[in-house]
Amino acid sequence: MTKITTKAASYSRRDAMRLLAAGGVLGLTAPHLLGKPAFAQTPPSAPTGRVIVGLSQEPTVFHPLMAKIEVDDGVHFSIFDALFRITPEGVIVPNLATEVPSLENGGISEDGLNWRVRLRDDVKWHDGTPFTAEDVKFTLELIVNPDFRAWRTTGHSQVRDLTVVSPTEITWRMEEPFAPYMSFLTETFIVPKHVLEGEADPNATAFAQAPIGTGAFKWGQRVPGDHLELVANPDYFGEGPYIEQLVFKYIPDLTVFYSQFESGDVDLTGQVYITPDRYQDALKLPDRTITMVPKSSFESFYLNLGRPQFQDLAVRQALFAAIDRKAIIESLYYNVPTPTETFMPRQSYYYNPNLPVQEYNLERAAQILDEAGWLPGADGVRAKDGVRLAFTNSTTSGDPLREQVQQFLQQTFGSIGIEMAIENLPSAVMWGDFWQQSQFDSVIVGSTWVIGADPDVTNRLHSGSSNAKGGRGSNNAQYANAEVDALLEEGARTYDPEARREIYFRVQELVRNDLPYLPLFQNVSIVGQKSGIAGFVSNANTRTESWNAAAWYWQA
Amino acid sequence: MTAIAQYQGSTRWWHSRAARKFMRHNLALLGVAMIVALTLACIVAPYLLPYDSLYIDLRARFAPPMTGGHILGADPLGRDVAARLFEAGRISLLVGFSAMLLSTFVGTIVGVISGYRGGWLGAALMRLVDGFLAFPSIFLLLALAAALKPSPIMVTVIIAITSWMEVARIVDAEVRSLREREFVQAGRMLGLSGAHIMFREILPNAMGPIIVAATLTVARAILLEAYISFLGYGIQPPLPSWGNMLHGAQQYLGSAPWLAIVPGVAITIAVTSFNFIGDGLRDALDVRDGHS
Amino acid sequence: MRSFLINRLSQSLVLLVIVSIIGFGVLNLIPGGPLAQYGLDPGMTQDDMARLTEQLGLNRPIWVQYFEWAGGLLQGDWGHSFRDGAPVLNVIGRHIVATLLLMGSSTAVAIAIGTWIGIRGATHRYSVFDYTATIGAMVALSIPTFWFGLIGIYVFSLRLSWFPAGNMYTIGDGSVLDVLHHLVMPSIVLALVHIAIWSRYMRSATLEAINQDFVKTARAKGLSERRVLIKHVVGNALLPMITLAGMQLPSVLTGALVTETVFTWPGMGRLFLDSLGYSDYPVVMGLLMFSAILVILGNLIADFIIAIVDPRIRLA
Repeated sequence: MTKITTKAASYSRRDAMRLLAAGGVLGLTAPHLLGKPAFAQTPPSAPTGRVIVGLSQEPTVFHPLMAKIEVDDGVHFSIFDALFRITPEGVIVPNLATEVPSLENGGISEDGLNWRVRLRDDVKWHDGTPFTAEDVKFTLELIVNPDFRAWRTTGHSQVRDLTVVSPTEITWRMEEPFAPYMSFLTETFIVPKHVLEGEADPNATAFAQAPIGTGAFKWGQRVPGDHLELVANPDYFGEGPYIEQLVFKYIPDLTVFYSQFESGDVDLTGQVYITPDRYQDALKLPDRTITMVPKSSFESFYLNLGRPQFQDLAVRQALFAAIDRKAIIESLYYNVPTPTETFMPRQSYYYNPNLPVQEYNLERAAQILDEAGWLPGADGVRAKDGVRLAFTNSTTSGDPLREQVQQFLQQTFGSIGIEMAIENLPSAVMWGDFWQQSQFDSVIVGSTWVIGADPDVTNRLHSGSSNAKGGRGSNNAQYANAEVDALLEEGARTYDPEARREIYFRVQELVRNDLPYLPLFQNVSIVGQKSGIAGFVSNANTRTESWNAAAWYWQA
Repeated sequence: MTAIAQYQGSTRWWHSRAARKFMRHNLALLGVAMIVALTLACIVAPYLLPYDSLYIDLRARFAPPMTGGHILGADPLGRDVAARLFEAGRISLLVGFSAMLLSTFVGTIVGVISGYRGGWLGAALMRLVDGFLAFPSIFLLLALAAALKPSPIMVTVIIAITSWMEVARIVDAEVRSLREREFVQAGRMLGLSGAHIMFREILPNAMGPIIVAATLTVARAILLEAYISFLGYGIQPPLPSWGNMLHGAQQYLGSAPWLAIVPGVAITIAVTSFNFIGDGLRDALDVRDGHS
Repeated sequence: MRSFLINRLSQSLVLLVIVSIIGFGVLNLIPGGPLAQYGLDPGMTQDDMARLTEQLGLNRPIWVQYFEWAGGLLQGDWGHSFRDGAPVLNVIGRHIVATLLLMGSSTAVAIAIGTWIGIRGATHRYSVFDYTATIGAMVALSIPTFWFGLIGIYVFSLRLSWFPAGNMYTIGDGSVLDVLHHLVMPSIVLALVHIAIWSRYMRSATLEAINQDFVKTARAKGLSERRVLIKHVVGNALLPMITLAGMQLPSVLTGALVTETVFTWPGMGRLFLDSLGYSDYPVVMGLLMFSAILVILGNLIADFIIAIVDPRIRLA
């Protein structure tokens, strides 16, 4: 079985410096902008060929600033550019900008409030109009336009005094120092002012149906419900593109999805990739390269600490000890994902490798419960002070693997007097108020907590982020730990990676002890591609496999 | 209400004749035999099989049929497919049967009220029936399934909500015709002979069509349960139903086809049987069908 | 005739109102809503959610939302998709061709095969063929469509590789032949139930016609069996057939919905499931109204034809 090599905890001082000062001097610190391996062959001189990317969800949002989901990202990365790009190593490098602002180069003031970004002067929109700082200003203003159905506004809402100094320079002031903003900007695509400024309704524009960007690919045509076709932009300012057409094909059914990869109708499998049960099969396919790509999302048995039965740490510990992670990972998930103890992706600079490792021990679990006073009642279910150790578990209906995990856990828990009922919901219901307002007992969820490579998780763990308690975030476990709160606040204000690393190491440690959720494993996606495609590099710091489609090419 | 009693009383005279016609209908008999066999199997088989339907054994994952005591193979959690099949049969048949009872009950009540009272209330109720019929039933089904917490009872209710209209229409028409006797004139205008109208239109009472519709509703309900559970909106695991057994099966179509084949065959057998019975009953009871 | 038409039309309008109210009510009963899809986004805060809720107008009372939507509809504005902001009619329009193609081809298959089986069954009454057809039709009506599709995929795509397992065409090809190749399995799966219904109908229609006097006369005049059949039976049954087709519309549409999901066909069924999954209310409501109009229109045409054919019927 292929093992994933990760750089867990192998970051050096040099790496830290790189994270800190990346892009200061382009040639030195960002050797491969699009993550292209050094040994790669030379791509063709003119764009040739077509790559068909299979997706199990349909991209439908093409205005890159409007509320969107992961699957839309692949299209946006190809059509548009952000000011900065994030490499697979988590290094932020310039894209439309010429440098990454930092304390050292003076792009960010000492107090972290004043930002200055210098821009390229050789960029043209797909319609030939030159790109300028006005477009950046328009973009950042549009995001906070109260009438505009924008995606994330975190960070953007703190931007004040946007000033166009020259066509290639823009400055602004932040209301508060906010280190994660850089990561937000790597996912904030710049839109053309000259196309959009005349629109009366920013939510219903012609642009949203046929976008114009600066990216390596131009809008081609769309057959809704079937596929979307992008064509090469020969005037692209950056590397590439080397393929003539980039096609995103929508194949919602997993059996059909795989069979089309098998038959060659699909050149590369995007989201949801190849399911773990087909991994071994896929390895046997001729002329296909199968890559295990660690993702930033992790799977957890997520608890609602607002429920009396979960408020007792002993219960959480016992539940954790009763989970046979090995069986889940090895049997149910075909050994594809990797066990984890934390929310932080293993490949992150901030990943804490020193956390205690969970051990599956049913007797120990029962013992913990016995000692804590949770004793079996007449119905065989444990109880304490009138609270039965019974709860429901939910996940999105239609995910066979998660449903298997549920039923497997249901049996194990049952054997030590814990009653778990399964109550699955369609995703449109599950992730609404049920999730956001903490109406669940427990859920099995795979989610990403970090933005890009930034370690900030205030949204997920700060006690002020529980909506059910009047907060404004997604700490739906209703977890509250004063030390964690303080650390998170400090972390968001801190720009120095090494100082932040210490902070987030401690956060992970505290959370591992408190167990507001029971970590199961870090997700790994299985990306399949035709072996002829070169230049494909995965990047867990983005939400899409197509983040660098500009660098893809067919080997001659 | 007296009208109902009167016509129920009249069931006696056709009873023997209908029974004889039904018995002549071989397919209907076959249907009854299959349903009885299936029901018995679902009741008894779980006690005879070596495995419990909920017993998880990861070592037996995807065991093919006829291996390791798994007559019909094992599912992705190593559970015995045969044990689950019969356990699921209990649920699916029960849901189908209960949904039939509920929808027939609701349909009859609505039909009787609208047919007997007539006027604006009758018209309003019938427009409501038309309204429900104008939906693609799948839409209503999925929307309701998403709205309500899934449990066998809820699934039954949801199916009943989408299946009561037929019976309501039938009962409404029957009651209306018996009350007003306008039907007689309509029939005459259609060119039917007086004797035909007398014997074939007025005399049959409402019970015949209701029984036929109810039988077909069981078939329909089993199919609907299968579909919503197949999509993951219906009966929730670990409780097996024929539909939710198919739910995960699609993904393993290539590697473990028996997971899809076995429950599907069971559904088809059950539904076919009820359709056979319904057809036989129609021949036997619904005297208006002139092609026998 | 005119009063009949006006009467039926006004009844249909009332129906549409009822359908829209039920639909809107049920949709809003579903907890979750259009913002659930962002529930796991690490960068979306509750402030973003609240903002979007307000921008989409979801914080207003349901009846206000309903009247706004219905008011728009009356003026020909079907609203905009929550997902891509496109007008709902455009969204539906982009998917309708695929669905019509599937419905059309499967109806053609159903009528052709159903008619043949029905007439042959009637002329060879109580033969082995007739019995087989009768039982076959019954079984066909009992097979779950989605399961039949799955088995079809297993046998003809995964095992035999005769037909593609899904989608409407191969990217880069898209020729008529390619589309037909993709069309074969879904249309046969969708047609199965309707072959059964058609064959039963044609059988009884033929039997009825055979026993009618003019056919007997024609036969007595020495016309060949085949010509008599084709001329009189089929000719006679044509209008009722159109009527039946009209009445079959809802079931064909529902069937298409199910078939499309199994074969990943880019039609309205796929759109419906996706839109429901994202709680894209405007599109779901649009599809609902669209299909209700189609269904009501089908019934209307059926009634209309009956009224023309048989002037004695005046549906008051």
